Amino acid sequence: MSRRSWWHTALLALAGVVLALVILVPFGFAVSASLQTESQLIERPPPLVPPSPTIDNYRYVFTGQVPEAYKQRALLRGSVTQEARVLPKGLRNSFLVALGVVLVNLTFGTLASYTFARQRFRGKQAAFGFILASRLLPTMAVAIPIFEILRQLDLLDSKLGLVAIYSAFTLPFTIWVLTLYFRSLPPEMEEAARVDGCTRFGALRYVALPLAAPGLAAVGAFSFLFSYSEFLFALFTTSTTHAKTIPVMISAISVNPDASYTLVAVGIVMSIAAPVLFALVFRRYITSGLVASLTRR
Amino acid sequence: MATSNAAAHRARVRPRRPGGRIAARLYAWGTLTPVLVFVALFTLFPFFYALVTSLHRYVLTIPGKPYVGLGNYRTALSDAMVHSSARTSLIFIAAAVPLVTVLGLGVAVLLNQRVKGFGILLVLVLLPWSVPTVSAGIMWRLLLHGDFGAIDGFLYRFHAIDSYVQWLSGSKLALMSVILVHAWREFPLPVILFLAGLQTIPPELTEAARLDRASAWQRFRWVTLPLLKAPLLIVLVYETIVAISVFDVVYVLTGGGPGSATTLYSWYTYTVTFKFLDLGMGAAMSFLMAAVLFVFILLYMRIVRLREAEA
Repeated sequence: MSRRSWWHTALLALAGVVLALVILVPFGFAVSASLQTESQLIERPPPLVPPSPTIDNYRYVFTGQVPEAYKQRALLRGSVTQEARVLPKGLRNSFLVALGVVLVNLTFGTLASYTFARQRFRGKQAAFGFILASRLLPTMAVAIPIFEILRQLDLLDSKLGLVAIYSAFTLPFTIWVLTLYFRSLPPEMEEAARVDGCTRFGALRYVALPLAAPGLAAVGAFSFLFSYSEFLFALFTTSTTHAKTIPVMISAISVNPDASYTLVAVGIVMSIAAPVLFALVFRRYITSGLVASLTRR
Repeated sequence: MATSNAAAHRARVRPRRPGGRIAARLYAWGTLTPVLVFVALFTLFPFFYALVTSLHRYVLTIPGKPYVGLGNYRTALSDAMVHSSARTSLIFIAAAVPLVTVLGLGVAVLLNQRVKGFGILLVLVLLPWSVPTVSAGIMWRLLLHGDFGAIDGFLYRFHAIDSYVQWLSGSKLALMSVILVHAWREFPLPVILFLAGLQTIPPELTEAARLDRASAWQRFRWVTLPLLKAPLLIVLVYETIVAISVFDVVYVLTGGGPGSATTLYSWYTYTVTFKFLDLGMGAAMSFLMAAVLFVFILLYMRIVRLREAEA
């Protein structure tokens, strides 16, 4: 590349800094707010950096020990809410549901994708088209019927019910990406394995699967993030802490006018920690998976 | 050469496995069945169930479920609240889609420059998209709070405003805030698509234009932009689909208010279904939305197919 004048570079750097701030400030403010007391947070303007960082809010959520700061009743507001105490359970539910969905996608999704990519049989195009077309359905339209199905199956307010719904929503995407991925692998090695007496499943398990690892990582990351974050269905099919996921719990706290802002902030931090970590670790796979899935067919 | 080898392999494999064809078909359908069952149970069946529901008057608080034909659709199409929510949705789409697209394109072009330290931005840019929409919305709810919000606090401190601005409870401002928060969460996806597009443009092209003394804007407008046509169309249509169905942000930021200022069509459908418990009407509204979505999805598939033909 050719020379660039210094002010040009400075301008680019400035734009980069602005972008970083726009992305990071909301995250940073949530973290900072979670480490303050309510009386500090409702100052005008609120401190950007906690003046005396405290983990009392987190301690309350995990152990139920009410922070000293909330015992002064003279405060404008600052009620602790019992709802915050169940956050760890919501986090656990979110994790279990998301892991369940990842597992379903990686097993059933992989098996089906490999078949779509490598086998020729009557009805294949129809089956493939059917699975992909199911993505086109607006979720709001199927909400009530799905509620009805879960009720019939006795899966309302259960993690298993959420796993089933999310699997049905993520499998089309998984099959789409993985079928493309398997097709892009050279078939010679699997054919050689078959000649040597390997079964169809064996060729998938020992030859194709290791080669498809990046594709598997991509669909795993997607199905995890989707299931961890999904809100509408989690909101109306769950009713107790037995199955409520973390987005449902923090939304309940945030719209509760009595909940303290510091606890709302704790909820935000607890809900974003895992996906942020996930996005950082799987960034490459997420990026390539997104590009492949949205621009190819 | 490679293909003829593969064909030779296949020719050698086949005769050795009598009954292999049946086994192959069994294996194929065996691996597809679990997926087909999942998908049919949670999309095909609900689809027809909802279709039937939309043809009945079915309100949970009123006994009976009489068939009304297209009655629910007729009611929806003449309902004032449906009209106003559709209008609000149109405003939302008209503002959010260009905003997200331009932001995405701008950031992608920026990150495509070789500047030391920009590698870290490529990592950061994914973050708003990766967290739950609900979390992103609540984060912004804290920042935009009309009494204790940090944004008001600092604007006031530096005398940019005379009094605290009610970002989420002024009717025009509330819709604007929802659009901005939506854009903040949604822009990473276009960035990634545009970056992928930019990286396929050979640097020789822009370099040649540079030698022809084309300005930076001219190079972008006449060299880069035409080559980004495919990702641009994909982003526009995809983001329109996303904007039509937006829900989570409204739920945590404004709840459709103040009044009905942020009652988007999707939000009103939710209200009719889950608050008014008018399932027939809610289903009809969903299908009306689905019809609009369907047009955009067909458009999207056409574009993607065209792109493939070009490649």
